[in-house]
Order: sequence, then structure tokens, then C-alpha cells
Amino acid sequence: MTETTERTGRDDTIALKVTDLKKHYADAERNVFDGISFEVPKGKVLVIVGPSGSGKSTLLRAIAGLEPIQGGTIALDGTVIETGRPGNEKSGRVKRSEELRTKFGMVFQSYDLFPNKDVLGNITMAPLLVQKRKKDEVEREALELLERVHLADRAHAKPHELSGGQRQRVAICRALILHPEILLLDEITAALDPEMVHEVLEVVVELADAGQTMLIVTHEMSFARAIADRVILLADGRIEERSADAEEFFTHPKTERAREFLHSFDFVRHRDAQAERELREFDAQ
Amino acid sequence: MLDWSFIGRYASFFVNGAWMTLFISVFGIALAIVTGVVCAAIQTARIPVLRQLVAVYIEVSRNTPLLVQLYFLYFGLPKLGFVWSAEMCAIIGLGFLGGSYMAESMRAGLQAVPQIQRENAYMLGFNRRQTLVHVVIPQAISVSTPGLVANVIFLIKESSVVSAIALADVMYMAKDLMGITYDTYEALFMLIVTYLIILLPISILGTWLERRFDYARR
Repeated sequence: MTETTERTGRDDTIALKVTDLKKHYADAERNVFDGISFEVPKGKVLVIVGPSGSGKSTLLRAIAGLEPIQGGTIALDGTVIETGRPGNEKSGRVKRSEELRTKFGMVFQSYDLFPNKDVLGNITMAPLLVQKRKKDEVEREALELLERVHLADRAHAKPHELSGGQRQRVAICRALILHPEILLLDEITAALDPEMVHEVLEVVVELADAGQTMLIVTHEMSFARAIADRVILLADGRIEERSADAEEFFTHPKTERAREFLHSFDFVRHRDAQAERELREFDAQ
Repeated sequence: MLDWSFIGRYASFFVNGAWMTLFISVFGIALAIVTGVVCAAIQTARIPVLRQLVAVYIEVSRNTPLLVQLYFLYFGLPKLGFVWSAEMCAIIGLGFLGGSYMAESMRAGLQAVPQIQRENAYMLGFNRRQTLVHVVIPQAISVSTPGLVANVIFLIKESSVVSAIALADVMYMAKDLMGITYDTYEALFMLIVTYLIILLPISILGTWLERRFDYARR
């Protein structure tokens, strides 16, 4: 895997700006998140980490338009595309134009291709139907994308003939062919067997190197450390720590919450600390 | 021992009966499929009032025997001023019964399409029609096919009841021949053979269709 902390040749304008975002479910007591603000500059990778249930995936889904927001704004390329409205909890997916939706490329945790289409069909469907592009050109681009993710020889395979890792790479191609402004990746390796995680993450690292703007939710801390330009720690619906220096965040977190969170991923240190605590308790007795 | 000469003498009766069975089955099943599509669409789209009407129809249709439905259509409706031919009553009866079974199979298929597939379609910019035509329906068909095939076979077998309203289907022919010739075993043997000749190819075609559309069930 390539270390990618120093990427060059990037435009520093803001691709995505989220301001004071609020979200709560109908009949729920507390907010899923409350007043979240951050920016993703063009060509950069923002990684959101945090414990389960912290609202990471919901945040990504809200930005994608899959969940309504009750407060704050979402701006893409300097234009506000959505403003939160209290009381819309049950209104379902946000009404966005087809064109606007294609500016967000989303890849979900479960590798869910369209089972009635082969690999090429999955990738070419949206550019043909939505963008009305020419078939020859779309197929050529799809094959180039498949080449990039090392699946050119599986263009005519059906989704059930592919492994989870291969399906996830096809899902990435399906999102990329629409040339999204920003790619949203929601724990894309969480449902994969360990040996397939690497092949998917490698593709994502290559995309980052090529300058693709991305907002990533992940539990893979080594991957997050390798790919992130910026990091956000989300816990209980709030940003507990943010850092424009990913390496700094992973090695010297500033807040106790971040230290605790990162610590839980370090098995050896975690075990040592636990042993030490038990020893202290024993001594105290 | 069976009297094999019976086959030569009366085969034409069974052929004619089989045509009648096929005639009312084809139109009855077509009506059932159309009814099923409309009802499943109403239920999936949760259209108020119509949805409740569909629920009542499904319960009435599934919980009353076809024979009773046919008697109602053939003997009951004329009292209300609607006089239909026996063929028409048989086709409407099969359509009425089959419609609820078809609707339930189709609804199960539509409900089985994971929400995430619609979300994927949304993110890729598909409009509602594109999502329905290119994502939801192909997957729903895949899930529904085994149920739909079973319903078709069930309805063809159920059509044997139409002999009760004096329609000369294959069952009617067999009963008639038993009364005339007293060759009960031969007539029953030919009855079974005729149904198998009709149903086996449909069963084989059904199995092929199930395999052809199994992509969303793997």
C-alpha cells in the first residue's frame, strides 16, 4: 500500500462544505448528530472514524441525500444544495435532481450490484440511462475502469460469480464512471473476508493518489492512517476531534476521547494496559 | 386389465376436452396475471381505500372454494340480471381465484427487493420509472417466478372444477364416458394421461424459467 500523506498538484478549493448539520429521527429522544461542520477540499480525502453508533454512516447518508436533515446546510462546489428543515424526519429520500445525485458517488458496505446485469451492464447502466452518453464511449470507459481495478477479464461475469472484494471493486467503478465530484465510501470493507479487504483498499488508495475527492467512513485504522488528508473523530453525534494532519491524529491525538478510541484498536497496548490496571487493583487490595 | 381399444375409440373426446381445459386456463390465467399485477401495484404503492379493497378481495378469493365462486357466477348472478356463458364464468372464476394468488406472489417479489438496491439507483441518478423498470421489477420477477409457476400449474388443475357448470373440459368428458361406457378405469387412466400431457411441458418450462430468472435468488 502506498503512503499518501503528501499528494501534490491539488486544487485547494472546497468540494464539500457541511455547516451546522442536525439530524434526528422521529420519536427519538436525542439527536443522531447535532451541529456538525466540516469541509472537504477538492482532491483531498477526509476520513471519519468513531465508535459504532456514533452517527458516521448516517452522516454520510445525509450528505448523499438518502436521509433528510433537520438543520444546517450542505454545499457542493460553493453552492448550497440542501438546507435542513425541522419536522421532515419522515419525508424519506431528499428530492434532488438526477444530475445533482450523480455528483455524489456512493459505495455501500454491502456489495450490492444489480443481480440482473453483468459487470459491464452494472457499470454502464447509469451513464447510458441517466447521462444519455453513447454506448461505445461508455463501454470503452467502463473497460478502462475495470482494467484499473484489475477486473477487465470479468466484464461479462454475473455478480454472483464474483467474490465480495471483486463486487466491491465493480461497485467503485459503477460510481466512478459518472465522474462524481466526491466519492462517499461507507465502511466498504466491513462485510468482506479479511483477505479481500486489501484488494479493495488498494484501489481506494490509488484513487486518492489520482486526486479523487473522497469522504470515507471506516473501521480500518491502518487504512485510514495511510489515506487520510484530514480526520474527524465522531462520537455520540459530535465531532470530538478534528485534524488536518492525519499522521498527528493517529500518533498524538489531542483529546482523551481520541486516545481512548485509538487505544481500543491497539490490541497489545490495550492488553498491557488492562493487565497493568488489574495489577494496580490487586496491589490496592 | 385395461381395455386398450378404449383409447382408440374415445381419444377424440379427450382431445376436445383438453382444448377446452386449455382455452379456459389460458384466458383465466391471463386474467389472473392482470388482476395480480394491478393488486400488487396497489398494495406496494399503498394507495388508500383501493389497498383496503384489494385486501378484502384477496381474503374472499383465497378463502372460498372455486366451485362456490363458479356457482355464484353461473347460478347466482343471473338473479341479479347478469347472464354469462359457462365459458365466461369459468374464465372469470379462474381469474378471480388466481388473481389473489398471483398478487401475493408478486407482492412478495416486490417486497423482497432490498432497500439498498433502490438507494443505489437513487445515487446513480435513476428516476422513479428507471428504478422500477431497470432495478425493482427485474429483481421482483426473479423472486416471484417460482410462486408464479406454481400458481399457473395450480390453476390449470383447478380448472377441472368447471365441469360442474356443464363445461365440456377434459374432466367432464371423462365423467361422461364413465357414465356412458362404464369403462371407469380406462376413462380415469386417460384423464390422468391427458392432464400429464398438458401439465408436464408446462412444469418443465416452469423449471427452465425459474432457472433463467434465478439471478436475484443466488
